[in-house]
Amino acid sequence: MWREYSKSYLKNNRSSSLSVRIAAFLSALLLSLLCGLFYNAWKYEIERIELEEGGWQSRIVIGSEDKIEDIKNFASVKDVIVNRPEDGRQEITVDLYFYDYGSVLEDTPEIAASAGSSPEMATYNYALLAMYLIRSPQDTAPRMVFPLFLLIMGMASFSLIVIIHNSFAVSMNARIHQFGIFSSIGATPRQIRTCLLQEAAALSAAPLLLGNVSGIGISMVFIQMSNSLLRNDTAGRHKAVFGYHPLVLAVTLLVTVITIWISAWIPAGKLSRLTPLEAIKNAGELQLKRKKRSRILSMLFGIEGELAGNALRAQKKALRTASLSLLFSFMAFVMMQCFFTLTQISTRETYFERYQYAWDIMVTVKDTQIDTFSQIESLQSLSGAQSVIVYQKADAARLITEDEMSEEMKSFGGFLGAPGQYVIQTPDGWLVNAPLVILDDASFLSYCGQIGAAARLDGAVVRNVIRDVTNPDFRHPVEVPYLKTDYDKKDASNVLAAAGRSGSEGRTETVQVPVLAYTAEVPVLREEYATIDYYELVHFLPVSFWRQIKEQIGGTQDDIRICVLGRENADLEELNALQGEIMRLLGDAAIAESENRIQEYEANADMIWGMKTIFGFFCILLALIGIGNVFSNTSGFVRQRKREFARYLSVGMTPQEIRRMFCIEAFALVVRPVLITLPAAAAAVWYMLRAGYVEASEFFAEAPFLPIALFMLSIAAAVSAAYYLGWRSVRKINPAEVLRDDTML
Amino acid sequence: MEILRCEGVCKVYGSGSNQTAALDGVDLRVDKGEFVALMGASGSGKSTLLHILGSVDRPTGGRVIIDGTDLAGLNQTQSAIFRRRKVGMVYQFYNLIPTLTVRQNILMPLALDRKKPNEEYFEKVVVSLGIADKLESLPNQLSGGQQQRTAIARSLIYRPAILLADEPTGNLDQKNSKEIIDLLKLSNRNLGQTILLITHDEKIALEAERVITLEDGRIIDDRPRREEA
Repeated sequence: MWREYSKSYLKNNRSSSLSVRIAAFLSALLLSLLCGLFYNAWKYEIERIELEEGGWQSRIVIGSEDKIEDIKNFASVKDVIVNRPEDGRQEITVDLYFYDYGSVLEDTPEIAASAGSSPEMATYNYALLAMYLIRSPQDTAPRMVFPLFLLIMGMASFSLIVIIHNSFAVSMNARIHQFGIFSSIGATPRQIRTCLLQEAAALSAAPLLLGNVSGIGISMVFIQMSNSLLRNDTAGRHKAVFGYHPLVLAVTLLVTVITIWISAWIPAGKLSRLTPLEAIKNAGELQLKRKKRSRILSMLFGIEGELAGNALRAQKKALRTASLSLLFSFMAFVMMQCFFTLTQISTRETYFERYQYAWDIMVTVKDTQIDTFSQIESLQSLSGAQSVIVYQKADAARLITEDEMSEEMKSFGGFLGAPGQYVIQTPDGWLVNAPLVILDDASFLSYCGQIGAAARLDGAVVRNVIRDVTNPDFRHPVEVPYLKTDYDKKDASNVLAAAGRSGSEGRTETVQVPVLAYTAEVPVLREEYATIDYYELVHFLPVSFWRQIKEQIGGTQDDIRICVLGRENADLEELNALQGEIMRLLGDAAIAESENRIQEYEANADMIWGMKTIFGFFCILLALIGIGNVFSNTSGFVRQRKREFARYLSVGMTPQEIRRMFCIEAFALVVRPVLITLPAAAAAVWYMLRAGYVEASEFFAEAPFLPIALFMLSIAAAVSAAYYLGWRSVRKINPAEVLRDDTML
Repeated sequence: MEILRCEGVCKVYGSGSNQTAALDGVDLRVDKGEFVALMGASGSGKSTLLHILGSVDRPTGGRVIIDGTDLAGLNQTQSAIFRRRKVGMVYQFYNLIPTLTVRQNILMPLALDRKKPNEEYFEKVVVSLGIADKLESLPNQLSGGQQQRTAIARSLIYRPAILLADEPTGNLDQKNSKEIIDLLKLSNRNLGQTILLITHDEKIALEAERVITLEDGRIIDDRPRREEA
């Protein structure tokens, strides 16, 4: 049937198969994009593991170097790296690299045994092996890359089948009468199915290849975008280099072919099972299964509205792809825009605006202690900096007695309901976390001046604030004094080493820390307090006092932080220069990472823009499938609806009235997703506003009306264009001719 | 020699109180080489019977045997192959494939079997039907009469056991109608083709050797033309 029928049909009916071509192209593009991105994510993860942990596959410890040659002689071993201990110990650690990852788990114990080492002592780079689907029962960590990929691919394929099989069905059902004729002259169901599948293959071949190539191209663009948006100087991130492997192409092609084949097979199978009588009787004319009035359309547009509503209902199946994909794409686009607008508002308010006058540059100096850090003064004398605060945090604990608790705190239950991981009840009271923030002396004295406390370096300032834990509004917390007012006069705080909280062996020493002031005001740092553990009692103290108590308390974090505020209204260039100066001053003595507020703000904006672009791209992709379906459907109007229009014309309907009917159909197609989406979006926004404690007025001031309107108008323009083309072909119909050309049955 | 036999063929549409019997126990026997006309008013069950004989529909009761094959025992694929090889169908509205040329339409049943046509027989059929010069035309480039001739040619190309024609002249003018009937008679006489013709036109029915009248799904009359005459 291919040679006799399909070949010439496809050649002469290019427009009617447009939807199939578009659907095949977009499916191939999406699946190829997913595979390309997954492959690059997989490759990036391997590079990350190799950078952080090394590229070895297994590691054994041997007693002497004599065995190294024996290990090298193992057929499966590709390379051996010997790590000799620096402390004079005899054991040598040997990193093994194999030709075949599959033999690692099997051969390593054998190699270890032959080298005189216990096979149980062998270690494996499980993270790396898991990337090659080599799993060991000993490795209990969840390695989700492949299962996640399979799940996403499965879901994508399934969704595409649900969406695009209808495009094939529309194209195939348009010729149901012709297949009825074939069947009546003896074509078997198998011949008809084969013919339809051959047509689907012929129609999809070029779009499939083009879609695959486009998917590879877009994944390459996405990788470049992620490099520029996520910045390579971000801690723990290296530059992603785009890569592709022929095997990925093979897998992508296979998945795409299977997806498209199933999508074509579903309608082809259904059509081939029709009896010739059913097929010939179904002359392609749209029928209503049962009477149902189109009240809204008929109320708004009169008889044309009623007819348009009936026509849409009769085309329900043919337009299912369009309805679903337009609805989902519009809904996803609106939700995505609202979500990112809220995220932007929230991040700006809780982060950028809140700390706008707190920091411009943040530097983390790794593995350094503040009491031995010598560059404080030179940093503070930098000309471009308004203030430089060097600080380090330490963990400690404090016992709170019932008498100390403020009445306000007691009013919401005191420590009742406090999580055990944060507050431990003892016979004497409650043991709470007391984080210490150790400031350089100059900054501490400046802080004392800021809160009106005596400028002394022999004690601590206590943040005497606790939020009302019964009020979940994190954006507008109700804060009350933690300790009683008369205890404000108490001049010492009994601070314990953090280790003492758990009662474990270790330092349980208590240090009496003189309290210089109790206050609600905190130093100007990019720090948040009591956000997770509401019951912590923060102490700020100068480094010179810390030197006196550090032996008893300990518990400092590994890094120190430098919070720099540049000159007022400093621009990015100025901040970059200052940042360079700071890094130069710190030199090579310590590993430092730095952030720049404006850069971070821009990076955040870029990241949101990138996310919006990527999600927007998927929404457009989804909308294109629907629009393709509408085009395909309207291009089949002459064939499918000529009798319907001829009847309208024969009873006196003017061509203008038919055009109006078309406009109403297009309008209904566009408006339906909007009407369904808006209440859903309103509910989602309401929920997000509540969850994020953002004022509705703030959201509406920045609500993404313009992009949503543009997206909707683009869909409307495309659907209108499709209906206009349909109208152009329909208006040439001669009613007398059409009504005369009836079918036999 | 018997080529077609119907025994108590029934066809009921709908269910429950909406049941309508289109055929109600039809018994019929047609011998090889006969030219039979099936007459009846609209809704008498003529087309239903023809569809059942052509295996495009199934009876709800009774048996149909054509050229020794019991149609009840055929699955969908076997039915299709049976239609292709044993039955030629001619419809009132031709049912030609609009995208295929006349030649391709005629040869379609053979193409479905991947068979090459017997060029001599093909030539004989198209010449006798008067469409030899239209073989490369598309159906919409032909007149109604020419389209119906093409449909007849397609139904004859496999030399079927029986040719079933459903109102083949219903869409044609008088001149073309006469020509089509003459062609059917010619094929019956010259090729020995068994023909079952459905018509509601008594004048056309009288061209057949035997006229069967159907009413409310039952055969109420079955007699040779000469007797009628």
